[in-house]
Amino acid sequence: MRVSTYRVTRAWIALVVLTLLSMAAAHSIAGGVIGSGLVLTAAVAKGWWMLMDFLKLRHAPSGWRNLLATWLILIAASAWIAAAIPLLHG
Amino acid sequence: MNAAQEDGSWGVLSDLPGHPMMWVLILTEVVTFGLLFLTFAVTGALHPDVFAAGRAQLDPILGGVNTLVLITSGWLAALAVENRTMGHRTTARLLLGGAAALGCLFTAIKIVEYAAKARAGIGLETDTFFTLYFLLTGFHLLHVVLGIVILAAVAFHDSPENLKTGTSFWHTVDLLWVVMYPLVYLVG
Repeated sequence: MRVSTYRVTRAWIALVVLTLLSMAAAHSIAGGVIGSGLVLTAAVAKGWWMLMDFLKLRHAPSGWRNLLATWLILIAASAWIAAAIPLLHG
Repeated sequence: MNAAQEDGSWGVLSDLPGHPMMWVLILTEVVTFGLLFLTFAVTGALHPDVFAAGRAQLDPILGGVNTLVLITSGWLAALAVENRTMGHRTTARLLLGGAAALGCLFTAIKIVEYAAKARAGIGLETDTFFTLYFLLTGFHLLHVVLGIVILAAVAFHDSPENLKTGTSFWHTVDLLWVVMYPLVYLVG
């Protein structure tokens, strides 16, 4: 198996596992700041794997990877802050 | 203008896999959906009770199953590019067919979800949460349908470059859903 084919399948397995863990985490610790943080961290990791091994940006200039990783982190951070504000206000 | 000059005229976009014009579309989608996601998050912070009540009426299992369907479709599309690059045209076409079929399954599950909401009397104007829910997921669903058409087109015109271009759009649709699923169904 070529290295790139192996990486594609490895990324798919990681994406499936993280999706199942996110569903379980959201079910067991729904609504909490920690639960939201875990689920959003998993989403960023999944997005990163998709960028690297599905969209094939692993060998693209680092500026592109940094730009899209920043987009992922910005969306996840804003969603986490938005979810945490009402919880912290009680 | 020869191929080398054409590549050079796209500047930094020439460094990305597939046709640079597709990356203009992809970056436009990333910015557009990014703004929609931020709008959803900020509105959720302003109306936490409405969003909590709305989210409680969604089915996170169905959304999760759709996530698994779409990432598996993305996997098949990525394998199609690998196989086409190695010269395995028939295998690549079969993998693209599988990716498109899973895209159709995603669409069917989404329609089942929308129908359940309609039967429960929930629509676009129910409240702010469901206005944004239908706007976000509906806009994404249109992209899934367009992606299926693009996958079918590159299966027929199956040069390695076309496959990279077509599957890049499909992976972007996949990426947007992977970010949207926790935002809409799980977090909050």
